[in-house]
Amino acid sequence: MQVADEVQTPRYYETAPAGFSMTMRPLPASTFLYAAAVILLITWPFWGGSEGIYCRVMAMAFFYGALAYAWNLYSLTGCISLGHAAFFGLGAYGSGLASHYLGISPYWTVWIGGFLGALYGILWSVLFRKLRGARLGLATLASVEIPKVIVDNWDSFTFGSLGLVGIASLPGLNFAGLTVAFKDNFRTQYYLLLCTLTAIGMIHWLFIQSRWGWAARAVREEETAASMLGVNVAWTRGCALALSAFLTGVCGGVYAHLIGLIEPSMVFSLHISALPLVLSIFGGRYQTLGPVLGALILYPLDQLVFRSIFPVGHAFLYGLVIITTLIFFPNGVAGWLQQRVKIS
Amino acid sequence: MIFLQLLINALSLGSFYALVAFGFALIFGVTHAFNLAHGELILLGGYLAYFLVKYWQLPFIWTLPVCMLGLTMAAVLLQKLLQQVQPPYELNTLVVTFGLALVLQNVMLILFSANYRLIPSVELPFELTKFALNITEAQVMDIVVSLVATISLHLLLRKTFLGKALRATIQNREAAKLVGIHVRRMSLIAFLLGGALIGLAGPLYARTAYLQPAGGTEPTLIAIVITIFAGVGRTRGILLGGWVLGVAESLSVYLLGSGWRELVSAVLLILLLILQPQGLLPQRARWLG
Repeated sequence: MQVADEVQTPRYYETAPAGFSMTMRPLPASTFLYAAAVILLITWPFWGGSEGIYCRVMAMAFFYGALAYAWNLYSLTGCISLGHAAFFGLGAYGSGLASHYLGISPYWTVWIGGFLGALYGILWSVLFRKLRGARLGLATLASVEIPKVIVDNWDSFTFGSLGLVGIASLPGLNFAGLTVAFKDNFRTQYYLLLCTLTAIGMIHWLFIQSRWGWAARAVREEETAASMLGVNVAWTRGCALALSAFLTGVCGGVYAHLIGLIEPSMVFSLHISALPLVLSIFGGRYQTLGPVLGALILYPLDQLVFRSIFPVGHAFLYGLVIITTLIFFPNGVAGWLQQRVKIS
Repeated sequence: MIFLQLLINALSLGSFYALVAFGFALIFGVTHAFNLAHGELILLGGYLAYFLVKYWQLPFIWTLPVCMLGLTMAAVLLQKLLQQVQPPYELNTLVVTFGLALVLQNVMLILFSANYRLIPSVELPFELTKFALNITEAQVMDIVVSLVATISLHLLLRKTFLGKALRATIQNREAAKLVGIHVRRMSLIAFLLGGALIGLAGPLYARTAYLQPAGGTEPTLIAIVITIFAGVGRTRGILLGGWVLGVAESLSVYLLGSGWRELVSAVLLILLLILQPQGLLPQRARWLG
């Protein structure tokens, strides 16, 4: 429908008087859809009434959506990482330990966690610069084990496999005499995570729009041709990975301070590596809205439906989703929707 | 004497690792499918053996053929699944089997709970008091079974016509097609044989290490490390690789403590990948052996 309209409009306006403004065109229906979705998400905590579970699940969906965006920054350069849990765990431990030993505010320590993640990311791009495709995937999978085993065994500093307990929670913020507390308040946590998702989503969007993002996609499609055109392949990829690792580390730090308890097997788990990958690929990793779409569909489905049927092991949903997505619609839901709209 | 004891432990562990790697190496060599669910399949075999021993009081040795049969069927299903995968084949099989590993882990968690399980050894360990050595029945079994598997796989690949066709497919798929080898049938056969070898490793896993639904990543990494070390289609190389890895892990446990053991295979894998970035598949004459 929309496409047909646009094809006809030029003929329509040819007879229009000069100075006729293009802004007179009616807004496309999708704008209303987006606006409705945004309003629904902003007012969501007030619909659920006193029941906290919907609010909490949506908040965590935003959190994993933010992780998926961070993961996708690297995947846009054509690399599939199976090891983002390394950055997540380093961020969580960096931030938690910094606030434990140095006693500074969590608002500062999450950046320390992010920098730790970024450092490890830079190490990856130096060491793995010659690896591509499946071999890179294997190397990333194996490199989660290194920080995990170190944290697990360095008992005197990281408290080992017992985990770090009693991490300082995010202190309240003051806005013009109004205090916003985050501890045990799901509504404020909801808005905090919505803001995190929006910020990382904006970074992702800016990345896609920028020269750098175009270079990244050129590298993804055809590396040799891209370097012939003057794209510095290693630099483009390395910077994307550093940014992706930094944002994942920051998410890990936020997670540590929200939950208040971290263990090596929890933050360096296969689950943390898999989730952003599943959400992005399911949503559509070449689309701006893909990762968030995946998070908003899959995570509530998992937590609200599957978890009530299978109290343990409900995460098999993610495995099934990734198998069916890769086999039947490799461009994800967003890509599939876009194709449908174009055809009709 | 402690070093002799350590060496025996390392060799039995290494033989067991070689057994873990055989199925992966064969499947990967012939079909180029990176099977990240390999460890989970071994665990499935282990659980099958565990329940056979526990509820049907089957003697341990009889669980081996049952598991081989069961896992062969599972491997055929896996082959049917991986046939649907679109190119780039290697990367997409990696991601699909990553998903499959998640599914199997969680299904095992639902069915068998997160408890640690082990098939207990009935017999007491041999004690060679003269040398102060301690050898358990499981260790002897690991060594014997993996030697038998190595020899029979070697004979199959080197002395039979089928083995020749399999090796030709490993070396060059296009050329194998040109000389009239049915490559699709070869990949089915590779999955059948690989499944049988995974089924052989499963019960021994349940006896050597603790079964736990989330424990599949480690055998997968071990299988990949040994396959890259040895090169595909080199049976004796895999046994050697298993021994090297076993010795390396035992040494690290002896020198650093048991907490650092998991690091060994991960670091070795990364080093091998960095040092051989161009590929794991045969390209030079030395791979052909």
